[in-house]
Amino acid sequence: MPARCLIVIPAYNEASTIAGVIAGVRKVIDAPVLVVCDACEDDTTAIAAASGAQVLDLPVRLGAWGAIQAGLRFGYRHGFEQVLTLDADGQHPAEALPDLRAGLDHADVTIGTYPDRLSAARRIAWWYFRALTGLNVVDVTSGMRGYGRRALALLVRSEASLLDYQDVGVLMLLSGQGMTIAEIPVTMRPRQAGHSRVFNSWFQVARYMIHTTVLCVARIRRRLPLENTP
Amino acid sequence: MNLATLTLVVGIVLAGIILYLVRRDHLHGPYALGWLLLAAGIIVIAVWPRLIDEVGRLVGIYYPPILICLGAIAALLIKSLISDLERSRQERSLRRLSQKVAILERELQLARQQLGQPLIRSESEAD
Repeated sequence: MPARCLIVIPAYNEASTIAGVIAGVRKVIDAPVLVVCDACEDDTTAIAAASGAQVLDLPVRLGAWGAIQAGLRFGYRHGFEQVLTLDADGQHPAEALPDLRAGLDHADVTIGTYPDRLSAARRIAWWYFRALTGLNVVDVTSGMRGYGRRALALLVRSEASLLDYQDVGVLMLLSGQGMTIAEIPVTMRPRQAGHSRVFNSWFQVARYMIHTTVLCVARIRRRLPLENTP
Repeated sequence: MNLATLTLVVGIVLAGIILYLVRRDHLHGPYALGWLLLAAGIIVIAVWPRLIDEVGRLVGIYYPPILICLGAIAALLIKSLISDLERSRQERSLRRLSQKVAILERELQLARQQLGQPLIRSESEAD
């Protein structure tokens, strides 16, 4: 019997794209879809529900990672062994989901990587984080990920709740506990609407770089105490 | 009114305000402790101003009043760090609780669906 798989889509005011993303996912993979609305102010919740997805409605805005973790916790509680995440803005190609899922047979975590989309700035940022953390990962910020059973049990813990992005911090936590990470090349499309939550303005980029640098330096080779019940 | 009296009044009024705030439920008990210690310190200095000079001589400070400034800055730094720690802890709880609320709400709807009961109307404004 194949492992039970849940698709988690974090969304913040993505009413214009969410229906298309859900339809794209359902076309390529036979798994329940869970949209996590991050205290949306538009019709994302209703549209997602009408498109056949389950919906979690966060009462307070938690940011991208907080929304994803809510989805992971839901999946964990309901006995799912694999969770695949992708963005609600349509930039992640659903066609790559089966590959991400298949990759979980050999690795605890899979990342959908699109090296070609790199702008020079992003290339430098990623190189910098690789050098800083020793992570052997090309695309440290991709939100298209697959998490297997072990990674899921780790990421639902409260130690992962103060992270802000599904990026370097999450990967360091995973690799620090000995999880294996595999990258799967995918072709990404330009965002249909909205902007990157991370790379929005120079001020935000600077903030993000400093924030993440501090996190990297403080968390190098951090090992968590063992815990059975998250 | 000389300086010592003024200091004494400040200390007593501060202590009074803190007790009043705790009484009116505006200040959470544990936070009051630090403020009351501060008020007590002010009162001690008002009653015994020479204390500063003596402590200053003891630790070899040429101009003892600076001791108070140093102490105040150090206390503020520590207090501010403790506040940030507390805020981080609360942020973590808030995030986990929000996630749990959303999850339980979803599970409640699923359970009601299975029982054939009508769904609970969402009342996001009332949250």
